[in-house]
Amino acid sequence: MIVASPKPMEEIIDTVKDCKKLLILGCNECVTVCEAGGKKEVGVLASALRMYFAKQGRQIQIDERTLERQCDHEYLEEIRDIADTYDAILSLACGVGVQFTAEKYLATVVLPGVNTCFLGATEERGLWTERCQACGACVLAKTGGICPVSRCAKRVLNGPCGGSTNGKCEISKEVDCAWQLIVDRLTALGKMDEYEQIAPLKDWSTDRAGGPRKVVKEDVQS
Amino acid sequence: MQLRDKSEAGQFIVLAEMEPPKGVDVTDFTANAIRVKDQVDAFVVPEMNSAVMRMSSLGASLILQSKGLPTVMQVNCRDRNRLGLQADLLAAGAIGVQNVMAVTGEDPSFGDHHQASAVYDIDLIELLKAVRGMTQGKDMAGVDLAGAPSFYCGSTVNAGVKGKALQLEIDEMKRKIDAGAKFFITPPVFNMSDLSDFMEKAPRAEVKVLPTVLLLKSVGMARYIDRHSDHVSVGDALIKRIMSASDKGRECAQIAADTIQAAKNAGLDGVMIATLGWEHMLPQVLNLKPTEAQDVEQDDPNTSWGKHAGGK
Repeated sequence: MIVASPKPMEEIIDTVKDCKKLLILGCNECVTVCEAGGKKEVGVLASALRMYFAKQGRQIQIDERTLERQCDHEYLEEIRDIADTYDAILSLACGVGVQFTAEKYLATVVLPGVNTCFLGATEERGLWTERCQACGACVLAKTGGICPVSRCAKRVLNGPCGGSTNGKCEISKEVDCAWQLIVDRLTALGKMDEYEQIAPLKDWSTDRAGGPRKVVKEDVQS
Repeated sequence: MQLRDKSEAGQFIVLAEMEPPKGVDVTDFTANAIRVKDQVDAFVVPEMNSAVMRMSSLGASLILQSKGLPTVMQVNCRDRNRLGLQADLLAAGAIGVQNVMAVTGEDPSFGDHHQASAVYDIDLIELLKAVRGMTQGKDMAGVDLAGAPSFYCGSTVNAGVKGKALQLEIDEMKRKIDAGAKFFITPPVFNMSDLSDFMEKAPRAEVKVLPTVLLLKSVGMARYIDRHSDHVSVGDALIKRIMSASDKGRECAQIAADTIQAAKNAGLDGVMIATLGWEHMLPQVLNLKPTEAQDVEQDDPNTSWGKHAGGK
């Protein structure tokens, strides 16, 4: 899923401070799972902002709404009749949701309420860690299911860099060396012969080198 | 006279672009520069134009500087992060490079290593500010430098854009000036009147504007540029002029010589001559006497924006 974290309260206050009528718009998908922008977080943020502006002696109407998804036309249409009645929509969706909302409702200011961080997994309640950088050319088949692009600080593709100590990365003792994990996994699977093969030059044009990307699936297009 | 002094004194500047070799043989590279050293104020050394891998601008500038030839070293945001950029700028300053030109850099997909990842750690405005900061003795982290470089810093401006895009370009030019750019090189200009809209709006008071004078190589190239470059126009008159010439190569050089004169007549601050690998033609371009204005159907003789107007 896409993992996000709430923006600092001061930053949010600064972006919405001139609004008289604000809609806080949550999303029921990834940001709900990572507890950054679901219905619960919409309610908590709305209460906090109401309290802040009440203390400032400011009258500001803050409404709450959470859509199934903000990255789909069909769900975003649900606010068609109310979107332009607000000075701003504070979207707690990922950057995709914020942009899709802004593209749909051109007359309303759409603001981000979270920082979109990475593609990751829930390791435990309250802990999400990165697993994928969407490079567009997956190498996991060769690396024991552990991604060197997202999990190695240097994104090296042919074994550890030399900064690995006791299985930990040189950038922090808290960070596992991805290549140590890969070697351990390939060893357990009896596939170390694959480790000996030099990876071909990585084609970064499927990453961001070629500009904004798109996926087209013609057989399902109408 | 240093480029900065000559430029600030309001004299007409002639820069020549010297494409570094794709390899380590610098014989032609240096020989071509030496041939025109007395007619060129500084040699602009591109940093992998069009994302085609070549010798670095720093390395090639070092080679020219070691022969006593002044350079304008190009730095771009595409290939290096802020560490690499600043490190190269320090090296450049230490070997005597006095002029730099900061650009964004074309996307790797344009070049010959289209699977390469681009860096873009900092953008052009930040790079210009970094250059200025270094000349003031500080790196981007605010740490004091043991000896500050002295750079006359420029950038590019897309002077050929029209309409709404022109205002955006002017706004961007102002941001570059605020960030420290002192001179601007435009894309190729074949008819000075094409610059009219730009020159009307450009904030020229504090900076110098130098159009690129591109040496055409053939009718095909002229037609291609005319049809496919969004903001560059060659024009039918010049295309016909090359077509009807018996010695087309000479005519192309003559057109470049005439364009330099037209830039001077129009009051521009100088030119950058680009030959796209035909640097051996630079002596011809620089030595040909400009065609008398009345003999060529090239430009609007009334086009004029400044102090060099009417000068020969």
